[in-house]
Amino acid sequence: MVVICPKCKTKLKVDEGKISAGGSRFKCPKCSTILLVKKPAPVTEKVFHHEKILIAHSNTSVINTLTGLLEKHGYQTIIASDGIEAMVKAIRELPFLVITEVGLPKIFGFEVCKRLKLRPETKGIKFILVSSPYDVNRYKRYPESLYEADDFIEEHRIPELLVDSINTLKGRAPEKEEIKKAAEKKKTAPQESVAEKPAQKPEPRVTLAAQPPTPTADETIERARRLARTIVSDIYLYNTPKAEAAIRNNRFHTDFAAELKEGLKLYENRISPEVRAQGDFFQETIKTFIENKKKSL
Amino acid sequence: MSFINYSSREINVKIVYYGPGLCGKTTNLQFIYRRTNPDQKGKLISLATETERTLFFDFLPLALGEIKGFKIRFHLYTVPGQVFYAASRKLILKGVDGIVFVADSQLERMESNMESIDDLRINLAEQGYELDKLPFTIQYNKRDLPSIVPVEDMDRVLNPRNVQWFEGVAVTGKGVFETLKSVARQVLFELKKHY
Repeated sequence: MVVICPKCKTKLKVDEGKISAGGSRFKCPKCSTILLVKKPAPVTEKVFHHEKILIAHSNTSVINTLTGLLEKHGYQTIIASDGIEAMVKAIRELPFLVITEVGLPKIFGFEVCKRLKLRPETKGIKFILVSSPYDVNRYKRYPESLYEADDFIEEHRIPELLVDSINTLKGRAPEKEEIKKAAEKKKTAPQESVAEKPAQKPEPRVTLAAQPPTPTADETIERARRLARTIVSDIYLYNTPKAEAAIRNNRFHTDFAAELKEGLKLYENRISPEVRAQGDFFQETIKTFIENKKKSL
Repeated sequence: MSFINYSSREINVKIVYYGPGLCGKTTNLQFIYRRTNPDQKGKLISLATETERTLFFDFLPLALGEIKGFKIRFHLYTVPGQVFYAASRKLILKGVDGIVFVADSQLERMESNMESIDDLRINLAEQGYELDKLPFTIQYNKRDLPSIVPVEDMDRVLNPRNVQWFEGVAVTGKGVFETLKSVARQVLFELKKHY
């Protein structure tokens, strides 16, 4: 684990195995300050409220459409009119789903999504981004391929698509969603749920793994991903018909070898070796982009 | 880093249009070129390879007057926007006197805008410039499209220095000359400090 010396701000790597239950004292090698280091408290698994959906939108008529539709389907809704309110309410209320306007005031909806997905206690929340209708133009791209949301709906298609989208997300969602399904099953076949429940309990986590990554590490990784996303989306944008054909025929890496090589050169030049050592965010991002694109083609 | 041509009594300044791919840099330049008096401008030169292109032309706006008997000749450049042509962009920034950042207002290009402004900062820093000390104007382009981000929100993300900005629809010319005038004014102000 990494500890920051409160006096000289030096980052110190501490072997967690050496920390006793009550905490251990270490000397900062730079300024000799004595630090009392305690093991981080394990992040408890949060249980999301399966009937609760947070709606974050600046337009009241859209909010009304959404609440009407969701309440009809038995969901409880919470409303936020800007990004800050959405962050606060999502953390406090733990809805299982956030439906957010992409261009939300104060903090963009996609930023809210990214930030909450980085927090260990809220990363399980699903996100549907709502955007105003696209024009038919060559820039058309789907924001969920950019901003790591789970789905994306254009505002005018909410009534026809939203409920299906929520159902799909529930089907896709791991563990927690299954608990709800199990609860539903319980109503009809109580004997099954007894057998299922223990298997669905989250595995006790190792403290180190549960420890939230330091914000600086998050930011640098997110920067690396953003650069990779910009590279691949530029390749797509400048060569849309060729790229779509390549994605359809599983030839993206072959057909755009030169561009990807240029992109990788820039990526390696801009992203520090320490960040690159934490994962191949470049290839990972390209893979995600291709997968998402494939779905929409 | 303006240079002076004593024989023609001109001060030459370089303004670079920067921004993400397909944001409208070239459209800005083409609009300015079309609307400039033929007697005052040079040729519109396109330095294009198969995939990237840079546009360049110079002109001598008479309305700007003179500095100590020297006329001011503006050299306008665009950079290739595609993210991985960073090396070309860095080269074009050499000797820059003023920068226009053309941002794409479309929601799905916000990330590219952020990436491009970071790229600008890095490329300038590698040549010893600081964006915060250069004449700098932002244009929020494509305001005519749907699915655009409110200007206030774009400004919050892209304009921490709070420089002058304009809304633009470069295809129709909206905001194009306002943007150019704003950066030109700042460049002249800097010149007057030095000459």
